[in-house]
Amino acid sequence: MIWLKTLGVACIIAGFGSYGLMGARSIEKRVEQIKNARLAMGFLEKEITYLQNPLSVALKRTAQLTAQPVQVLFAESSRHLQDRQGITMGEAWEKALQKLRTMSDLKEDDLEILQAVSAQLGSSGIEEQKKFFQLIQEELMIQEEKARSLMESGRKLWSYGGFILGTTVVLLLL
Amino acid sequence: MGLSSQEIMHNTIIPFLAPNLKNLFMNLNPYHFDNLEEIRLRCGQPLLLKMGDQEWTVNQRGDLEKDLQAGYMVQEEDIFRTLLSISDNSLYAFEEEIRRGFITIPGGHRVGLAGQVLMERGDVKTIKDFSSLSFRVAREIKDCSLPLLRHIYHHSLPGNTLLISAPRCGKTTILRDLARNISMGNRWGPACSLSVIDERSELAGCYRGRVQMDLGPRTDVLDACPKALGMMMAIRALGPQVIITDEIGRQEDIAALQECINAGVAVITSVHARDVGEAQKRPMLQEVLASGAFRTVITLSRRQGPGTVEEIVRWD
Repeated sequence: MIWLKTLGVACIIAGFGSYGLMGARSIEKRVEQIKNARLAMGFLEKEITYLQNPLSVALKRTAQLTAQPVQVLFAESSRHLQDRQGITMGEAWEKALQKLRTMSDLKEDDLEILQAVSAQLGSSGIEEQKKFFQLIQEELMIQEEKARSLMESGRKLWSYGGFILGTTVVLLLL
Repeated sequence: MGLSSQEIMHNTIIPFLAPNLKNLFMNLNPYHFDNLEEIRLRCGQPLLLKMGDQEWTVNQRGDLEKDLQAGYMVQEEDIFRTLLSISDNSLYAFEEEIRRGFITIPGGHRVGLAGQVLMERGDVKTIKDFSSLSFRVAREIKDCSLPLLRHIYHHSLPGNTLLISAPRCGKTTILRDLARNISMGNRWGPACSLSVIDERSELAGCYRGRVQMDLGPRTDVLDACPKALGMMMAIRALGPQVIITDEIGRQEDIAALQECINAGVAVITSVHARDVGEAQKRPMLQEVLASGAFRTVITLSRRQGPGTVEEIVRWD
């Protein structure tokens, strides 16, 4: 009987511990994904303001240089634009953002910054686009800093918290 | 012949229209596309199709209609979505084109733009709040210039030639075909290297730097380049035997044309006028015509359809 109890205790602690580690990993990934989105915006800015490539091409090229899952945002919106179904940039971006929402570790605050892109991207001259990209990159940088500071404390909390919670549950059950 | 009218519409124009308009055109009998010259979208006004000398609208069922009130009323949304589509959602990439008042789409079709014009230091800065779009259907009619070639060539080389016609009489289509035939060589003379100065992106129909029309294998195109500047650039850098350009008329164009002729480069160009007499009334042209710079002058009209040759004057 004792071996069964030991197995149960091990399972509970391992389960809670794994959940905690996953939470910690998610916090780390969020920071990485915000950083990727910021770098991708920088690349897209050059595609638009320097090379003046049309958006479908600029987004596709940005997607090629961006890591998953943020890549989805650029690849999907480029695909929607290339389909020529009368879709606007805003609509294509919104659809791609919905897909990113399900795949990424980004929080609603982060996605809201990316959502603001839909109304502005491609709809004005070069100078206005430059200003807009600077603003978006600054906002993403601030968001990245916030996420990084949360990561430092949150990572430990989630990593140890999972095991501690698991142990507490075991003690209560005993 | 190049693409058929139906292929032109289905491949290069309909995909750029807003979904509502796209549906209307998909329901329209493709037979009607044969004579279609212009599509006009004006906000709050009926959709207009210009076919030859007649104007039609399209009703909700997708039939042609003479009664404009029964036609499909173009919405602001249609203009907005069509504009985004022709600019690939990238207005920043078409700033210069918007300043000039038109965007050329793949296939060489020119889309004229109207809206609120913003000025800066006396120049057009941009256009905003677009209120109407005008699609001008570009067609390549291969070998339409063949009957004119023997009048243009002198001792197996093209001579300086002026095409005179009112707007929409086929000048550009003929100039485009002349470029192709001269560049390829023909029964009247060997192939020549050629420069096309295409200030309004109509002759070559360049879309993002790529020539959309067949101008032959020995043709260099200076797209969106002012004619006078382009002629001098071509002489210096491209070494053409022949220069083709459209619609001369400014003082600097005439001066550059004289420079080309003095440099031994043949120039084939066009001018807006109904006939030679009317062209001679324009002081700048009067001088150049009197100097005998043009060895051949060809007058075109629409009497029997675009490209009808009314008169050929040749000074040998």
